[in-house]
Amino acid sequence: MRFPDLALTACRVILGGLFLIAGVTKAYDPAAFATEIQNYQLLPWVGDVLLSLFLPWVEIFAGCALFLKRFERGALLLISAMLIAYSVALISAIVRGLNIDCGCFGRLISPTGIAWALARNAGLMILAGVLWIFWLRGSRAPRIADSK
Amino acid sequence: MTAVRQALWILLIALLPAFFASAFHPKRPAWSEDALKPGEERLGTVQSWGDSVLWVDARSRKEFDTEHIPNAVLLNLEEWDQLFPAFLDRWQPNQKVVVYCSSLACHMSEEVADRLKRNSVEPVYVLKGGWEAWKSKQ
Repeated sequence: MRFPDLALTACRVILGGLFLIAGVTKAYDPAAFATEIQNYQLLPWVGDVLLSLFLPWVEIFAGCALFLKRFERGALLLISAMLIAYSVALISAIVRGLNIDCGCFGRLISPTGIAWALARNAGLMILAGVLWIFWLRGSRAPRIADSK
Repeated sequence: MTAVRQALWILLIALLPAFFASAFHPKRPAWSEDALKPGEERLGTVQSWGDSVLWVDARSRKEFDTEHIPNAVLLNLEEWDQLFPAFLDRWQPNQKVVVYCSSLACHMSEEVADRLKRNSVEPVYVLKGGWEAWKSKQ
């Protein structure tokens, strides 16, 4: 496997794997995740509940799809959209002076500050950006990243 | 278009387990905010447990110093390392711990309760409505 292919595979596996883990930790305890969403004070409680039940599974399936290279373009689209949405929510929390845990990995890891979560999101967006660039160039799409 | 179509498929597939989680997940959130969340208890229930309960105030030191539930121990995330040993001095194994913060809108009590559980302190409950609920009953 050549270096660009290796780099693309690494981007895909890291991004997919992280979303898979994040989804599983949230799906394990949707009530806790609903509370984490509520901390952002962006939606009514029913909206928080709906998201807490649905979002973890989107993360799990999108993460799985990217990791396993099945429906990988759709998965990358969803993961990119989620990264943007999460970043907007984090920035809005900073603007409103909320001192909350990001809730990004459920309660698997210790409470994470917003600044650190934003930095992590930026890193993940770079990985997603790399995959998008190679995909849009067409010649080296994620689909063929692992080709012999 | 392929990406959008694939994304829609993933969303559609995710709906199925989400639906089952909403109906059968043991830790599913309550649809009504008035309902108790897992680990949450109302003031009346806690009072029915008697004086054996150890109250934990998860608010800031300033708020605690102003007023707090009698015999409550201060334990917040900001000063966790300094305050946790003092909590352990007060807590007896198996003694019920009830954590409260300011009101319904605050969630610090849930975070403190969660961290207590991760430090093997059980059973831990969160007071629904927090300090405001207590104050309104005095």
